[in-house]
Amino acid sequence: MNYNFSFPYIWGATPDLLDGLWMTLLISLLSIAISVVIGVVGAGLRVFQVPILSQLVAAYVNFIRSTPLLVQIFFIFFGLAEFGIRLGGFWSGILALSLWGGAYNTENVRGGLSAVDKGQREAAYSLGLRPLHYLRHVALPIGLRVSIPAMLNTAVSVLKNSSYLQAIGVAELTFVAMNRVATDFRTLEMFLAIGAMYLAIVLVLSAAVRRLEAVLQKPFRTA
Amino acid sequence: MSETQSTQTGHASAIRVEGLNKWFGSFQVLFDINLTVENGERVVICGPSGSGKSTLIRCINALEDHQQGVIEVEGKALGHDSTSVYDVRTEVGMVFQHFNLFPHLTILENCILAPTVVRKTPRKEAEATAMHFLEKVKIPEQANKYPIQLSGGQQQRVAIARSLCMRPRVMLFDEPTSALDPEMIKEVLDTMVALAGEGMTMVCVTHEMGFARKVANRVVFMDAGAIVEVNSPDAFFTNPQNERTQAFLNQVLQH
Ligand SMILES: Nc1ncnc2c1ncn2[C@@H]1O[C@H](COP(=O)(O)OP(=O)(O)OP(=O)(O)O)[C@@H](O)[C@H]1O
Ligand SMILES: [Mg+2]
Repeated sequence: MNYNFSFPYIWGATPDLLDGLWMTLLISLLSIAISVVIGVVGAGLRVFQVPILSQLVAAYVNFIRSTPLLVQIFFIFFGLAEFGIRLGGFWSGILALSLWGGAYNTENVRGGLSAVDKGQREAAYSLGLRPLHYLRHVALPIGLRVSIPAMLNTAVSVLKNSSYLQAIGVAELTFVAMNRVATDFRTLEMFLAIGAMYLAIVLVLSAAVRRLEAVLQKPFRTA
Repeated sequence: MSETQSTQTGHASAIRVEGLNKWFGSFQVLFDINLTVENGERVVICGPSGSGKSTLIRCINALEDHQQGVIEVEGKALGHDSTSVYDVRTEVGMVFQHFNLFPHLTILENCILAPTVVRKTPRKEAEATAMHFLEKVKIPEQANKYPIQLSGGQQQRVAIARSLCMRPRVMLFDEPTSALDPEMIKEVLDTMVALAGEGMTMVCVTHEMGFARKVANRVVFMDAGAIVEVNSPDAFFTNPQNERTQAFLNQVLQH
């Protein structure tokens, strides 16, 4: 009731929080980038029904979607260590988030690609384009436009889910805040501060994606 | 054997289809199709809906695979390996009922995509070729617009130009005017007539009988997956040999 909210406390914690924010941004942006690549490759393998690989991708997507992310993170951090693969918190985190986002992006991109009219593929092939040419120059530019809202959702989720990495000791934003709360008990200040920071990044990310979407949409507007 | 012979003597037919049978699953769509098209020849294919016209010409550039028979384009046999498929496709252009322009690319970009990507033609040169063909189809001023900004007739003319940019030896048309409003049919047919006048080898699936009379060397009538009659346009329209042809003509010419 008589909680004594202190802005100066937030101010004093800012250098620490900025370090955490930087770590969050670094891990999230790398993971988002990798997850987009995984999504494009995975969707390509699925759409062209490449034998064996297509089934492997389907299994991977299923596995990721039906297990908790935290379990995946622990599996990569602790589980792989049992096999002598010690990636450390940073790379374990990036691997876990990339695989997680990659699975969702595979479905997102696949959805976009299957929305491309089959006449496009026939026209491309009849002009002599190879399947990869078709994917690169026709299907992806048309299909990604459709996938982008879903991919933005996935990217935002990757960003937010990076806070799980505090469980394996990665000094990202949430970890930094939790540490301070543990010593200074300034709970409200810390969670308000990092909440605002997450919100700010999501808004910037969304704005950037909307710009990209506008570019891809341009040919489809009559004027 | 005959294929190597024909290539060696330099008298390969533009298209040679022999003993072609095709199934969709267990459903046979094409029955023992034999059809040879010589260079510079214009063949019109017509027949009732579902008779296999589209399937036949789609087999010629391997948009559909076939299970039995020989398909050769300019002496190159169409096998089931991807190399022969790509070889044949670069010789054959195709125009579709629904144009199928790439919506995210401008008209000019539509025309230069395949030449730059497949043939590795330098961009400048590809653009010059594209403008040449866009002028041929009388639409150069639209080069920097997007497909959605053009009328159906204009889009179809661009689709023709886009195919020509690959400098195909043979052009296939699958009902190129049947998705068009009546007032746009003529501009597309005129383009096709002009193309025929330049000696392009053409196989057209169409029910435009005026076009058939004007440019076709031969008219092929298909029914239920088989070629029922092949005739000169004059004989085909005035004195059809087959009763199914007669029934079909009565229907088409009434409209
Ligand atoms: N992908 C496919 N799978 C199964 N059956 C098909 C497929 N494509 C076509 N068919 C069938 O094959 C037959 C021939 O079809 P096709 O499209 O070649 O006919 P068409 O003569 O071009 O007809 P239309 O004048 O309506 O275009 C039809 O019975 C059709 O239903
Ligand atoms: Mg058809």
